[in-house]
Amino acid sequence: MAALSRRSLLTGAAGLGVLSLSAALSACSSPASISAGTDELTLWYWPRSMNPSALKDAAHGIPGTNKRLNAMTPANTNWDTRLRTSLAGNADVPDIVAINSNVSLYFFDEDMFVDMNKFGAQSFKSQYFDWKWSYGETPSGRMCFFPIDSGPTGFYYRADVFAKAGLPTDPDAVSAAVRTWPEWIELGKQLRAKTGSHLLINSTQLFNQIVNASPERYFNRAGDPLYTRPGSAIKDAWDIAVTAIKAGVLGNQQIATDQNAGWVTGKTAGHIEAVWWAQILLDTAPKTKGSWRLASQPVRAGNSGGSFLAIPHTCQDPEAAFKFITWSQTAARQAQAYNEVQLFPSTPAALTGGTMKDASHGFFGPQDSLAFFKTQAETVPSAFISPYEQIANYFTTEIANVEAGGKDPNRAWDDAVNETNQVLRKHGVNV
Amino acid sequence: MTAHTTGVPLRAKPRNRPISEARGTRTRSALRFWPQYVSIAPFYLLFVVFGAFPIVFSIVISFTDWDGMGRMTFVGLKQYQYLLGDARFWQSVSNTFIIWIISTIPMLFIALVVAFLLHQNIRLKSFYRVALFIPNVTSMVAIALVFGSVFSDQFGLANAFLKWIGGSNAGVAWLTDPWGIKITIALMVIWRFTGYNAIIYLAGLQAISSEIYDSARVDGAGTWRIFSRITIPMLRPVILFTVITSTIGGLSLFTEPQVLLGNTGGTNNAGSTIVLYQYYQAFQNFDFGYGSAIAWALFVLVLLFAIINWRLVSGRKEDEFGRALPGPIGRWRQRNTAKKEAGR
Repeated sequence: MAALSRRSLLTGAAGLGVLSLSAALSACSSPASISAGTDELTLWYWPRSMNPSALKDAAHGIPGTNKRLNAMTPANTNWDTRLRTSLAGNADVPDIVAINSNVSLYFFDEDMFVDMNKFGAQSFKSQYFDWKWSYGETPSGRMCFFPIDSGPTGFYYRADVFAKAGLPTDPDAVSAAVRTWPEWIELGKQLRAKTGSHLLINSTQLFNQIVNASPERYFNRAGDPLYTRPGSAIKDAWDIAVTAIKAGVLGNQQIATDQNAGWVTGKTAGHIEAVWWAQILLDTAPKTKGSWRLASQPVRAGNSGGSFLAIPHTCQDPEAAFKFITWSQTAARQAQAYNEVQLFPSTPAALTGGTMKDASHGFFGPQDSLAFFKTQAETVPSAFISPYEQIANYFTTEIANVEAGGKDPNRAWDDAVNETNQVLRKHGVNV
Repeated sequence: MTAHTTGVPLRAKPRNRPISEARGTRTRSALRFWPQYVSIAPFYLLFVVFGAFPIVFSIVISFTDWDGMGRMTFVGLKQYQYLLGDARFWQSVSNTFIIWIISTIPMLFIALVVAFLLHQNIRLKSFYRVALFIPNVTSMVAIALVFGSVFSDQFGLANAFLKWIGGSNAGVAWLTDPWGIKITIALMVIWRFTGYNAIIYLAGLQAISSEIYDSARVDGAGTWRIFSRITIPMLRPVILFTVITSTIGGLSLFTEPQVLLGNTGGTNNAGSTIVLYQYYQAFQNFDFGYGSAIAWALFVLVLLFAIINWRLVSGRKEDEFGRALPGPIGRWRQRNTAKKEAGR
């Protein structure tokens, strides 16, 4: 009897195993979209990347379609790997997906995303900032990545520390004092001499923000490297960063612990970053509330961050997906998104609509941060971000070696060029 | 045949049975034991799906150029060719070995001493044992964050202490100087694994019969002589085990530098270990072909070092370990030694 029951138990277990195995196999052979066979479109986004009210409304039905939105926030420890895994496995792919500012990484596989021009994306182009729109167009001219928010940058500074150093503290006066990078470095020298504070955490941040504000970047649309050409924007940015390192105005803070401590203590009295950084600063150094101000950074503002929406090629109803995207990114919705989760709009109409309210709540004293970034957004240049920037870029690591490791700047530049070229050759680019 | 329904593994069959008979019944007895096979099947199924398949597939990927989602292009040995000429890879190899040497040697030495002390008759023995083992079960990411705060260059506790005793100019660039980075990572490894190795040594010590110690004492041996002439030689297999596991652990070092310094491994890539470089290539540059090639290069290195370790620590020809090895290699060695003895 005992033997029999054991055998039946085993048979039962084996049967269950076979069942679950066949279930798993059938799941593999089903269509790639997560929501295949339902009236839902599935969106992957991460917290604070989309307008919460729009998602709530679309859950009851996307206007103009017979679909409902199922918004999911998968664990985003490594967003790009996660998305790649589902696309490579052709299983559990969302119908709409948010992608961060590194969209150019997907240009190599642009055929895995729907070209929104098919649904008349061009007619929406004039509503968005040119520079933001151009980031989402692939080199072959397909429109695969639709603008969500944008990240115009500015020069954050501690007015109280500046006052101690006898420097101008009024935003307009500071903006006027730092029209060029040499002027900015000069200001940093005075600050350093009188208070011992630095203007910025490190050279990588400075170098990246100069590049972010430049109409010319590392490569052109054809994939030719521009950094080796005489007078290239990259070499200019490099030279400015090297001068700043030598002048001692940068903090050489390479690790987050040091950086955060720098802002909290005032040892770092400035930063150059996009509009969204205000929220990070607020969380990091809440006690410095009221002493920060915003001034225009030298030359012109750049763009740092800001995400996009894409439609994977497996989407079961791309037209409805496109309808959701345009419906969720109108000027009114973007203004609402700013008020709810501080996403800075990518459509100028949202900024002039008058419904947005400054989210800084006195963090910048009497200064209106919204008005400030509105003017900055108008000066951001259009630029082409090449996919090669993401996989072959040793300039930022080498500039850090100059600052933290005391490496000779000329040798570091040559190393950066050689290493970048070596990787480019590996990927079949002739350099 | 009826005696075999108890589920004794096939390998344990009496050896004196004629080979021909065993072969004839093999398929039939395999069928007879199906409940046993089914009950061990889950592990093997999971292993095939999550272990064997990825391992085999990574060999395939290492011969291709693949960004993780698009088309896979077969490139033959190109990834390996590139690897040989990649200065950053060789730098990661040397980083890994430097960190391994400056962490493993002090770690095993301290562990041995700690185990020897714990083996004495002291108070609160179990408290010390637990306390020593706790670092090993603490989350690596949490440890790295704490170490990041302690060893931070400008605001860290370590430098604050150095400045307190050595004046305002004292202090080490723990996380930006190439040597500072290596030493910090080595300290993390030592902190985490000393207790683990000490517990293993302790188990080895307890297996040594006290009669040997007693007779050594009777013969007039001192503590040092007992330690060097009895404890160390008797611990030889245990030491071999810890050396091999620390070699494998040291060569696959990843979390410590990644959390502490990010994917590039800090200033001058001083903290870029082989696995971190592999991760950087696969998950930051999305060059999965090259990442897999690095993984297999690491496999070859680990294999090489396991063999060297084994030779170094086991030393003599008539070592114990060949006989203790499982499976076909062990049997082959046994046969060889048997032949040699017969030849004499």
